[in-house]
Amino acid sequence: MTAERKAGDITAVRRVINWLGLGLFALLGVAAVVPLFLIIGDVYIKGIDAINRLGGLWHFLTGLPPTPYEESGGIGPMLVGTLYMTVLGALLGIAVGFPLGVYIGEMRREKFSNVARAGVNVLVEFPTIVIGLFVYAVMSLAKEDLNLYLLDPLSRTISPVGGWITQFIGPLDGFNAYAGAAALSIIMIPYVALITASAYSSIEQPLREAAYATGGREFNALFVVLRKAVSRAVITAALLGTAKIAGETAPLLFTAFGNFYYGPFTGPTAAVPLWVWYAAQTPYEVQIASAYGAAAVLLTIILTIFIIARIRG
Amino acid sequence: MAKVEFKDLRVSFGASPVITGVNLSIPDRSITALMGPSGSGKSTILRVLNRLIELYPEARVSGEVYLDGQNIFDMNVMELRRKVQMIFQIPNPIPNLSIFENVALGLKLNRLVRGRGELFERVKSALEKAQLWDEVKDRLRAPAGKLSGGQQQRLCVARALAFEPEVLLADEPTANLDPENTAKVEALFLELKKEMTIVLVTHYPPQAARISDYAAFLYKGQIVEWGPTRDVFTKPRHELTEKYVTGRLY
Amino acid sequence: MLGFLLVVLLIPYLIAAYALLFVKLRWGLRLFGAFIVATIGLLTAMFFVEAYPIIARDGVAVFLQTGWDPVRESYGVLQALTGTVLTSAVAMALAMPMALGVAVTINEILPTRWRGVFGSLVDLTATMPTVIYGLWGLFVLGPTLQSLVNTLARDTMTSPYTLFTAGVLLAIMITPYAAAVIREGYALVPKPVEEAIYAVGATRFEAALIKLRYVKNYILGGFFLALGRAMGETVAVAMVVGGNFVRFTTNIFESGITISSLIALQFPNAASYQYMVPALFAGALLLTLFGLAINAVAIYIIQRGQI
Repeated sequence: MTAERKAGDITAVRRVINWLGLGLFALLGVAAVVPLFLIIGDVYIKGIDAINRLGGLWHFLTGLPPTPYEESGGIGPMLVGTLYMTVLGALLGIAVGFPLGVYIGEMRREKFSNVARAGVNVLVEFPTIVIGLFVYAVMSLAKEDLNLYLLDPLSRTISPVGGWITQFIGPLDGFNAYAGAAALSIIMIPYVALITASAYSSIEQPLREAAYATGGREFNALFVVLRKAVSRAVITAALLGTAKIAGETAPLLFTAFGNFYYGPFTGPTAAVPLWVWYAAQTPYEVQIASAYGAAAVLLTIILTIFIIARIRG
Repeated sequence: MAKVEFKDLRVSFGASPVITGVNLSIPDRSITALMGPSGSGKSTILRVLNRLIELYPEARVSGEVYLDGQNIFDMNVMELRRKVQMIFQIPNPIPNLSIFENVALGLKLNRLVRGRGELFERVKSALEKAQLWDEVKDRLRAPAGKLSGGQQQRLCVARALAFEPEVLLADEPTANLDPENTAKVEALFLELKKEMTIVLVTHYPPQAARISDYAAFLYKGQIVEWGPTRDVFTKPRHELTEKYVTGRLY
Repeated sequence: MLGFLLVVLLIPYLIAAYALLFVKLRWGLRLFGAFIVATIGLLTAMFFVEAYPIIARDGVAVFLQTGWDPVRESYGVLQALTGTVLTSAVAMALAMPMALGVAVTINEILPTRWRGVFGSLVDLTATMPTVIYGLWGLFVLGPTLQSLVNTLARDTMTSPYTLFTAGVLLAIMITPYAAAVIREGYALVPKPVEEAIYAVGATRFEAALIKLRYVKNYILGGFFLALGRAMGETVAVAMVVGGNFVRFTTNIFESGITISSLIALQFPNAASYQYMVPALFAGALLLTLFGLAINAVAIYIIQRGQI
């Protein structure tokens, strides 16, 4: 065989390997994404059917969950609980996460800043059930004294405002919405912090120098002048973080615990993911159906937030 | 027949044209210099010749390029790159691979050698030709990223020479080197031109005057003038050429 | 009292930190940093405290014995530990190839226009609520896997809900985490290096392999990040792992339990027993220490590669 011919054979072999290899990578890549479609399809097909069977959309979104023997029901309390705890958790998450992110992103020369950054990295994908247990432990420890010294007197003072206030403020049970919101915020804080930090880190040096020069006080430089540069990333982080905590179940298991009824936020509180967790594992057909309906609602909320975040970003 | 022929080459990146109709012949076993101010398209022409331009998805190429009479776009690109090798302006060894592996990479991928013994011999002779062997022979397994700038560039030269290529493309190879290393590289090219065709892009007319046999002056994507170096420098036909070679045009 | 003080002082602390931002910016920021460090410290400390009763009674044995017998107040987390290890191993074995596939597909195979969409799809996989994964695993993946495995080897899976099911479900869930890290590294391969790789005549596949070798720090970092995630995942695993608290098994095709799902599933009855709550906290402590260790390794590896 001539050298040319042999070279040609090797080339052919390499081309075949190229196709096979790239094909394998493509297959694996697609395999990572296919389940997403399967799951979304499954949830919506069974979920929408369930919502219809259980009384239609409005009834589903406002009514009480079905007992094993009923034929209709809803996730009213769950939606309210999720809304309340997610909003609280997200507010706290952003309120603490943003300055924390500025700290670890901008003051990187400090040793403590690096310690804090390490802490944030550790906490960011920490098992969420552990975080829920932590809040539970603190709650158990603090509850009695908290109620005795703070919340009882407080609620007596503000009770003239009206009966409705006791839904929000008052002595806390072991399981309550605020513990749930606290757990959710602990999950969101590191997430917002990391994205804020990287948004500030990726500001180019000239821009940063200009901001410090024109901004006067450092506060102005960081938060006023550079606001535009980072706001897109931070808002995206806030949206995606909110979507993330709206779907969390484990941290709520021992903090909010769940509820079948509308109740005060100072007591056990329902949440949509908690209902899916509970109802899917019962042997009762109607409750399993409502779990699918709840999953469909939850998925819609999260997809909406995700799409809004992606379009803006 | 010339070693390389460009016929009406046009290249644009997205909507911006970079090369607007180039016809050029590159003779064999000689050094042809491509000169011109920044942005005139010199590096682009080089990248067309080894089809590295295909790494830039926004690039559109039209026209024909022939290597020994064969259209390079009809050729298999791996075959082309076995014959046409390139040295870059900023040395680009693969930093996490060892010195030895950097030179050996092309040989192994293209199955150009059989057996470890032959591989070692090829790598050694390439490093010797690039005048790097003595400095690295005791640390062939050290990562390439640890070498100095001048050494890294000679490593890249060795990597290219390991192929025993027919054409060597050099994109401002001494722009980032000190005078001593620059002199080494220029001396090397003068040796190598006996075995291969060298196309040298240079930003610095005196370098072209020093070592090239043929020179082409490129301005805004067009060849303004081309011919034997001595003619281009001493009897330029175009005013632009004269301005450039005397340093009044950047 | 201590707990009360903790909670009550939290609000003034945050208000003070905020106020300081306006007056002495840097100190204000430092207070926020301190908050997060204190949280981790407090968390670890509380778990030691809560787990203490059973560690005092049984010592390290609580981590080494099997058998979960509330009636006899005898608790061993070993089978949960084994379950965590086995499900994580299955998950990582499936997830890492997929993560590499995602990175190469996005960067080498897809046309530029599709890269954003595909990347968003992968990110969406990460944002999906875990309980929905669990729901799908419960009613779709479990039974499907059982049929599949049993067609290949009869009667291997006697239940749809096994450690294997949990492992496969986990793999789908953790792939985007590893993929995100690897993608980031892969995109950072400098253009000059890419040109060098192709100039020596590599095919796209060969180039991908060389680039992956170049970013191996990121691959390791993604590995540990995904591993941490796999070990800590609770709800989805709890729904499909089979809840086998009693029999110790190393057969992935049997039902089992992991530490996190143990906590989730047993906690509701824990209050009725004296030592169960501490035992569960001991499990939580173990998870915490693992989580800390693995994340620390992941951070170290990624940062070292960046220097």
